[in-house]
Amino acid sequence: MHLPIRLTKESREPIYHQIENQIKALISSGQLKTGTPLPSIRALSKDLEISVITIRRAYQNLEYQGFIKTTQGKGTFVADIEDALKEKVKVEAVYKAIEGAIETALRHDYTPTEVEKIFQSIIAAYKKKEE
Amino acid sequence: MQPLIEFKNVRKSNDDFELGPINLSFEPGTITALVGKNGAGKSTFFKLLMNLVSPTEGDIFIKGQSILGENEDWKKKISYQPQSLNGVNSFTGKELKKLVSHYYPTWDDDLFTKLVHQFELPLSKAFGKLSQGVQKQLSLALTIPRDTEILLLDEPTAHMDIPTKQILMDCLVDWMDRGDKMILIASHQVEDIRKLADYLVLFQKGKIVGNYVKEELVAQYKRYWLESSLSAQPLPGEIARKGERLIISNHPLETEAHLRKENQRWLDAESLDLEDIISIVLNNERKG
Repeated sequence: MHLPIRLTKESREPIYHQIENQIKALISSGQLKTGTPLPSIRALSKDLEISVITIRRAYQNLEYQGFIKTTQGKGTFVADIEDALKEKVKVEAVYKAIEGAIETALRHDYTPTEVEKIFQSIIAAYKKKEE
Repeated sequence: MQPLIEFKNVRKSNDDFELGPINLSFEPGTITALVGKNGAGKSTFFKLLMNLVSPTEGDIFIKGQSILGENEDWKKKISYQPQSLNGVNSFTGKELKKLVSHYYPTWDDDLFTKLVHQFELPLSKAFGKLSQGVQKQLSLALTIPRDTEILLLDEPTAHMDIPTKQILMDCLVDWMDRGDKMILIASHQVEDIRKLADYLVLFQKGKIVGNYVKEELVAQYKRYWLESSLSAQPLPGEIARKGERLIISNHPLETEAHLRKENQRWLDAESLDLEDIISIVLNNERKG
């Protein structure tokens, strides 16, 4: 099975972390349901063009945090995770995305107040669309 | 974990060629690409490992057993697909299969049948009458189903069409998933390396210049587009520049720290392709 994972080699975020977070997001958003088989470490390594060393690290972290489980001889599957954990991942993902946007703006020499104004105007535009 | 293969201080001298010293070990579950220009020593490396040529110095171990001793049990644990098969031109695929499968107790006939079907191989035609590409495919179909723990592939995708390459890669991925297997692959095809390799061992004129985890090697190099012109002085980490505003660094952190200190900004920082990196490493070593 092919997973929609996209890696950014330029990112400061380590590759194993990018893989880990994107799989978490797929699980938390319900795109990957409990019991769904995940690709083997070797198959994902071929798809993403990343060594099994790094893929294994991401899978180990996901397993440790309860997102996936590996059954000897059968493969790796999405675990039954609690709603609370799903919720936590969602909140974290949104916070991270917004933080990333703010960092970009600060790097381009905007002040926090200016960033706030931009944010307000974008939010206003979205709210208008919803109405 | 005990390494499947271990090279200890291996050296091979001929009149006109010197390989080594090689100190390397390989673990189960991994695929390593041997990369280097023609004549850098990759095929000799395989021949040493198969005990087809003897080392001048040092020893080679497979699962802890020296391959130089009397005991040849290790031969059933390793399969070797050479660049070309010699002395088999008059045999048909069917005859060759009979010979090979007999020798390996682990021979997987279903896998052989599957490969013959996927590669669409004619088994009753003499090997010598087949095209180069088809010979290579037949040679692979006679090697992979030996299902030994170690698989050595010397230029497996040379002369191979694109769809067949895909079939081969998928086959190797599935095969690795059988567990506790390992592959050493010598290849000039960057696509093979990108899709299959965990480690890259770089050969330069008989010397091993590095053994890297693939993405760690990639992370060592970055290309910067700077906002303003550079001074003539080379920057820390700089290994190449093009024009006045583009540099390549092999120590990105040092380069960035220096640029920050000098208040020099960059518009973009980008990773290099594996292909570029391999060329840089192999060309630089020659000069150095």
